[in-house]
Amino acid sequence: MTAVKKFFKAREFTSFLFLVGLFLIVGVINPSFLTLDNISACFNSSVVYTLIAVGMAFAIFIGEIDVSVGSTMGLSAAVAGTMIQNGSNWFLAFAAAILIGLVVGLVNGWGVAIMKIPSLIFTLGTNGILRGLMYLQVGVEQVNSLPKEFKDISSMNLIGSFTIYYCCAVALTVGIHYLLTRTKRGRWFIAVGDNAGGAELVGIPATRTKVMAYLICAVLSAVAGIIFASRIGIVTSLSGNGYEMKAVAACVLGGISLSGGVGSVIGAGIGAVIMASISYLLVFMEFPSNYDNAITGVILITIVVLDALMQRRAAVNNRHARLAARTSAAPGGKEAAEQ
Amino acid sequence: MEANQNAGNSVPLLSVRGIYKSFGLNAVLKGIDLDIMPGEVLALIGGNGAGKSTLMKIIMGIYSHDSGDLSMDGQAVALNRPSDALARGIYMVPQEPLLFPNMSVEENIIIGFDRGKAELHRELVDTMAEIGWDLDLSRKAGSLSIAEQQLVEILRGILRHARLLILDEPTSALTFDEVKSLFKVVRDLREKGIGIVYITHRLAEVFDIATHVAIMRDGAITIQGPVADFTREDLVKGLLPPNAADHTQARGASGSTVDYGAEPVFELDGFSGYGFSDVSLKVWPGEILGVAGVVGAGRTEMATTIFGMDKVLGGRAVLNGKDITGKKTRHVIAAGLNYVPEDRHLNGLFKICDVSANTTSASLFGGALGRVLIDRRAEYDITEKYVKNFRTKVTGHDQLAGSLSGGNQQKIVIGRSLATDPGLVILDEPTRGIDAAARGDVYHIIHQLREQGLSILLISSDMEELEELADRVVTMYQGRINAEFQKADINQDNLTAAAFGIVKREAKEA
Amino acid sequence: MSEPKVKLGGQGGLRRLWNGPNFRWNLFLLALIAVECGVFSMANEKFRSLPRIFASANGDLTFWYVSIFVTFVMITGGIDIQSCAIVGLTSIIIGVAWQDFGFNIWVASLLAVAVSVACGAISGFFVAYCGVQAMVVTLGGSFLYTGLALLVSTLSSTEAYKGISGFPDDFKALTKIKVFGLIPLQIIIFLVLLAAAYLLLHRSKYGRKVFLVGVNPAAAEYSGVNSRWIVMSTYMLSALAAGIVGVIMTSQLGTAKSDLGGSATMTIITACVLGGTLSTGGKGSVIGTALAAVAITLLRFGMPLCFGINKQYLDIPIGVLLVVVVVARALANSPALIAKVGGLRKKKESRAGA
Repeated sequence: MTAVKKFFKAREFTSFLFLVGLFLIVGVINPSFLTLDNISACFNSSVVYTLIAVGMAFAIFIGEIDVSVGSTMGLSAAVAGTMIQNGSNWFLAFAAAILIGLVVGLVNGWGVAIMKIPSLIFTLGTNGILRGLMYLQVGVEQVNSLPKEFKDISSMNLIGSFTIYYCCAVALTVGIHYLLTRTKRGRWFIAVGDNAGGAELVGIPATRTKVMAYLICAVLSAVAGIIFASRIGIVTSLSGNGYEMKAVAACVLGGISLSGGVGSVIGAGIGAVIMASISYLLVFMEFPSNYDNAITGVILITIVVLDALMQRRAAVNNRHARLAARTSAAPGGKEAAEQ
Repeated sequence: MEANQNAGNSVPLLSVRGIYKSFGLNAVLKGIDLDIMPGEVLALIGGNGAGKSTLMKIIMGIYSHDSGDLSMDGQAVALNRPSDALARGIYMVPQEPLLFPNMSVEENIIIGFDRGKAELHRELVDTMAEIGWDLDLSRKAGSLSIAEQQLVEILRGILRHARLLILDEPTSALTFDEVKSLFKVVRDLREKGIGIVYITHRLAEVFDIATHVAIMRDGAITIQGPVADFTREDLVKGLLPPNAADHTQARGASGSTVDYGAEPVFELDGFSGYGFSDVSLKVWPGEILGVAGVVGAGRTEMATTIFGMDKVLGGRAVLNGKDITGKKTRHVIAAGLNYVPEDRHLNGLFKICDVSANTTSASLFGGALGRVLIDRRAEYDITEKYVKNFRTKVTGHDQLAGSLSGGNQQKIVIGRSLATDPGLVILDEPTRGIDAAARGDVYHIIHQLREQGLSILLISSDMEELEELADRVVTMYQGRINAEFQKADINQDNLTAAAFGIVKREAKEA
Repeated sequence: MSEPKVKLGGQGGLRRLWNGPNFRWNLFLLALIAVECGVFSMANEKFRSLPRIFASANGDLTFWYVSIFVTFVMITGGIDIQSCAIVGLTSIIIGVAWQDFGFNIWVASLLAVAVSVACGAISGFFVAYCGVQAMVVTLGGSFLYTGLALLVSTLSSTEAYKGISGFPDDFKALTKIKVFGLIPLQIIIFLVLLAAAYLLLHRSKYGRKVFLVGVNPAAAEYSGVNSRWIVMSTYMLSALAAGIVGVIMTSQLGTAKSDLGGSATMTIITACVLGGTLSTGGKGSVIGTALAAVAITLLRFGMPLCFGINKQYLDIPIGVLLVVVVVARALANSPALIAKVGGLRKKKESRAGA
């Protein structure tokens, strides 16, 4: 199969078609939508979701989940934002954010991979702790007097009307995708989620891979936090709340299977754009933005239900084929059946 | 061993000396000695629970052994984890291939290597050309047939420059043609000087493909040497317990005889499903009908399909004149049939529930346990009845089932099935994995039930057990019934031969 | 060996209680509550006033009621994170049905509760019959039902953010009733629900099936239990509880709003896990969940009152509680894990020696 063919067969391509279709439908209803500015705005506004969704994709690849990403992002935004607001070096603030990501990732990875606690429960717990720490950092006030030059980066365009941030996020996603598909260790994440027992048998260190996935997930969320602070300009104690759910939804929309082992970070990125665009598109369709959640919910449920049904059918067929092979092997069997 | 040393003058590829292994109190391997030379195909045969897979898992570094030595090329080696074994050129193709279903064939083969991708790809294509295999490398592994999956596993092994390839019952899921092509591969590999351990249940294959043979029974090797030294009868003998001859005809179900003139309690007529085909049999009141066969012969699939767990593809199942074909499990139970599953841990036991919840779990519909709320008294009575009757050793009704010994767990599961007051019980490997004393207890229970007029379909791959208990035995081979034995003909020789696919003429006529 | 005697009643009664579902863990939770009461009432005498405690409890009702029934879901091995969305949906349906469609307020409430059960049934169906992970379905459900609530609110002539108010007095009075002039009706309803849940889960045949499905779904099928229906029904029950909460909170606040449920998801799950429910299913007790809910409420009430801690920081102690409990339980309940840690060490030593 050629690379082009492979590309068209990939699950994320379906997501991409879905996104294009979405744009076209809105364009038919309201032709004024189909301008480069509007479309690039959809992409640009998805940058925070993209980073978190790519991180979440790692947790989902290995067959787990991380619901602490929203708070990790919020805490990193709060800490880095406060530092920048107080005039400290931007790189120092950036380093602090990364450090937060590393610590959170290590703790989550320890709890899930080594202590073998169900990931949802454990990350729910760390989520609460991080959220509380964030209140401690932000207090009742907000981080709202960020320097103008920091906020301005978010509106600088790099290529056409795409912002620096979005271009960086795309470059990062593509880079990660390359590492995941082209390197030996990159494939480990998918392998562990696909068949943990088989992975151990071919010599893949499953536990270490899982911890690594949580580290990447948390660090990417922390980076998203800095971009969040720069884009929005205000960090409240509620910033990032619910982003974990949007990130999971983005991954699912991007063709990543929640049972692990299937999908790509490109898909997560496309899913993030879909998630970010829905409310934007509703405006152009002259729908009240109230439909946002309901539509997200319907799309999400439809996709996972279809996916689960298809997977189950494949599994049942597989089993039956396997069992049928055993009987037809009987040399005397054929005659007996004819009698 | 001696035979091996005479046959080859080179150093053995892998040498196993005095391997012992037990899980808890259960001794699984009792001093195994085995040598595999380069270019040798060693067929390893044995019944279920003989310890074949445990031995292989020790060689693969998945399990650790209690005592004994492993050496390769004459040097002692420690195989503590799969990667150690892989590094030394040992590769096992498991019975159910462990592929990554969502990855392509190529990715599946080259994952876990340290070498470059392009180099691996070239080597892979070359290897396939050399052996003459044609496999689309970009297909998803999940879409492959079992045979193709096994090819992928074998390719994995070859690409790792495996010097010792372990094939664990490779033909159990293959069609006739696929078996033929697999044998060709095995011969090719042998010529390349690769040592192969070939685990199988089928005696016929031994003479087709193996150069050497070893038979394991009860954690020890009973026979080993070049294939040419043995006949089929020798091999069958090796599978039997040493004192089998003494037991023959010595036992048998005592007490009442079965009235074959009466209406049968249960009847299968051309019953087909996934994993078995065209099964017809009858069970009379108070009869124990044994169903012999090896694992994968389709016995369990037949039982679970009768029990409403899988789709019926054809034929009828009739219980007490009522058609129960394709009914839901709870209706089958209500009609008076219950099933004691083969895999107690997976399908039978509620480990973190107590004894009484386990015993009454199948009695939750109908009024036996009260209408809405659970009638504690009734629950106590039912539990007490089976604990007492079966002499189950529990500290109380509130003991968790998971903390009981295997034998007592089995008694609980049997009790649960009987609590629904069935006319026919299907017991699937009722003594698998339990100790000798508990086994005696279970036999006692089965005799007792027969005396009470209950009909029993006893599925077992333990021929000794069938000899002891059954009034009549049918054997299943590759999904079909291939022989039937009346009381007088039931002996381990006959049953073993038929279960391994060798049907003697007189048995077939019977 | 003599035959073991099986005991019931008499001396067995006490032991039965001791070994009963979750009993020792419940004792621990009771002790935790006692410690909380002791510390807080020493720190601040305002804490000693019962009406004050009851008043604070009212604010936490959402998760008290709901967590009891989410326990059912978790025992089957699932999870339900859509309850908060359903609370909001129920509330807004009451408001819109009453104000804009002219329903009687009680009929409107019944209608809203019926809708909430239907919501639970939809999610439960996807989990049980289609085999989708509970987490994702209820995540989708939380989006969907939040969205539906917003949509319903657009049917109303009142602006969504204002909420619908002006309910009849008898509806509002429902939650003003104080039994013995002290205990609010909400607490009584809680106790009634708790008793019902206890009977259902720990005493009825239905509850037994819930446990069996959670412990070993395959074995439950082999016992003839219709495990799919059982799983689906637990989601309906938890949605029913969310519906009831929606009615009560609407009455209590006198306002119907679509976001009434807030985001109590984490607190609900924490109450279940802290109450002794095994997140992998098969084990749990409604008494434990209720005690854990009380302990959490006291914490949320006492910390700000006695130590001046901002209410928003309370996620920290609750999060820590959750993490500590699951880690400690993973350690205590898994001899395999302990052995493995020991084994690793041994292996390392042997390798170092070799």
